[in-house]
Amino acid sequence: MTMNALKAGNALKAGSVSDVASGAIDGPSRAAAGSDAPARPDRPAGLSSGRWGGVLIRFATAVALPVGAFLLWEIAVDSGFASGRLVPPPSRILTTLVDLWTAGQLVDHIVSTCLRVLLGFLAGAAAGALAGSLTGYFRVAHAVVDPTLQALRAIPSIAWVPLFILWFGIFETSKVVLIATGVFFPVYLGVSTALLSVDRKIVEVGRIFRLSGFDLVRRILFPAVLPAFIVSLRAGLGLGWMFVVAAEFMGASEGLGYLLVDGQQLGKPDQIMAAILIFAVIGKLSDAILVQATAPLVAWQDNFSRGGL
Amino acid sequence: MLALKGLGKTYAGGVQALAGFTLDAPPGEIVAIIGGSGSGKSTLLRLISGLDAPTSGTVSIHGEAVHEPHPLINLIFQEPRLLPWLSVRDNVGFGLAHMPRAEQAARIEEALCRVKLEAYGDRLPKALSGGQAQRVAIARALVTRPEVLLLDEPFSALDALTRETLQQHLLDIWAQTRATMILVTHDIDEAVALAHRVIVLKPWPGRILDNIKIAYPHRRSGVAFDQARARVRSALHQSLSVPAPADIRTVWAQHPSVLETSP
Repeated sequence: MTMNALKAGNALKAGSVSDVASGAIDGPSRAAAGSDAPARPDRPAGLSSGRWGGVLIRFATAVALPVGAFLLWEIAVDSGFASGRLVPPPSRILTTLVDLWTAGQLVDHIVSTCLRVLLGFLAGAAAGALAGSLTGYFRVAHAVVDPTLQALRAIPSIAWVPLFILWFGIFETSKVVLIATGVFFPVYLGVSTALLSVDRKIVEVGRIFRLSGFDLVRRILFPAVLPAFIVSLRAGLGLGWMFVVAAEFMGASEGLGYLLVDGQQLGKPDQIMAAILIFAVIGKLSDAILVQATAPLVAWQDNFSRGGL
Repeated sequence: MLALKGLGKTYAGGVQALAGFTLDAPPGEIVAIIGGSGSGKSTLLRLISGLDAPTSGTVSIHGEAVHEPHPLINLIFQEPRLLPWLSVRDNVGFGLAHMPRAEQAARIEEALCRVKLEAYGDRLPKALSGGQAQRVAIARALVTRPEVLLLDEPFSALDALTRETLQQHLLDIWAQTRATMILVTHDIDEAVALAHRVIVLKPWPGRILDNIKIAYPHRRSGVAFDQARARVRSALHQSLSVPAPADIRTVWAQHPSVLETSP
């Protein structure tokens, strides 16, 4: 065998081995790298296929778990496997809901609860955003105010109930103030910490272009903290729904919290379940509205995943 | 004329980052600053840009002292630092808010053309590659028509091909604007290929070790380029107090067995 033939043979062998190896190991990634790779890899399409089809599938996926659980419980009660006395089956809860609706009370209960949450949420979120902005922006304000607010935050907000009743009476004001207190802290904490953690690097961009004071806030700081602000609003809204129940426990003649207390005192578990169910639905609905309404404001975020489910 | 006189910076805690830095850069000069870590390269740019105040010495442009960011001086960072919530067009126009709309739009389009990103105006930063994002950052600095452009290792995070393209862009921009450029780099080839003058810094505290004129036209190559390169290289190694390692080609030559083995 000549030298050249030997080399050629080796080259052939080496070539085939490396081809097999690379084909086996990085075949797909090589194919991907070969194409003109976009700056962001496309994400797998997930379950969505077509706009409305996607929405429908997403909805069905989301409600599959609770609907399945209801069905199982219904069957369990129906077949005598469970009595359903303390945990009424979905059919009875539904009947209760329809009864309350036809009696014309349900809407009133829902509206008064929603109104309390809305007012408390607006007041608490506004105060939280304001206080958070001040302590996040001004070092002195942070040093003076933040420790006190953190201490107040550590108080279980229900502990305020007796005091608020003494101060604001038994009617609407004390309820709204309690809800606002609950909403205030997560919003305050979210805005304050988000401002403190705005990337120095983009603030320097603002400084290079000689922005200062209000312009720096408007053009750099506000957009930079917006995603964290929205998350804190969601947390605040969640607490708002929590505190409205506490508020309505302390004496209300209408509202979903009243339905709960009334159901307990008169031994109507179906009414309690109905109220809980409504809380779940409108709580989720209000959160979804908040998310949908604010989504366009933060579409610029380079998130881990926006596609798929 | 950008004039730096005896610039020094000592950070809180007593770390002296820069000492006695003096430099006059006439309009249109490209000055490369090269040096190891701790030689105060980035500190120098932060002082010239007015982001930080010097502990000693002065910065002045056209005889006017610079104490804070100045409209005629702009800084391009190592990372693009685009504002993720603004489109490419709005990022480029970030420094033009005080201008009439029409003027803004004209300047933005012009700057996008200069960095060859006309088609990308509506994109968000998240949809750009690293090289494109850095070009947007360059365009953002250009729109305000600065007379002094400070560049802090602007291409160091990019791959070799993109880097060469952007270096070419930078020379084109310089040819059109004749801005004074202070280019901090740690790439000897970049310094020698782009600058009219290479200043080699020595660390702890950062100070000037050598000031090397590169008195050849741009598009450099051949013997003159190699000579300038060798001089900057040896100065740089002197500044780091380590003997210059042999050229990689010499290393190969010392290991003939390596050279003769092809995969």
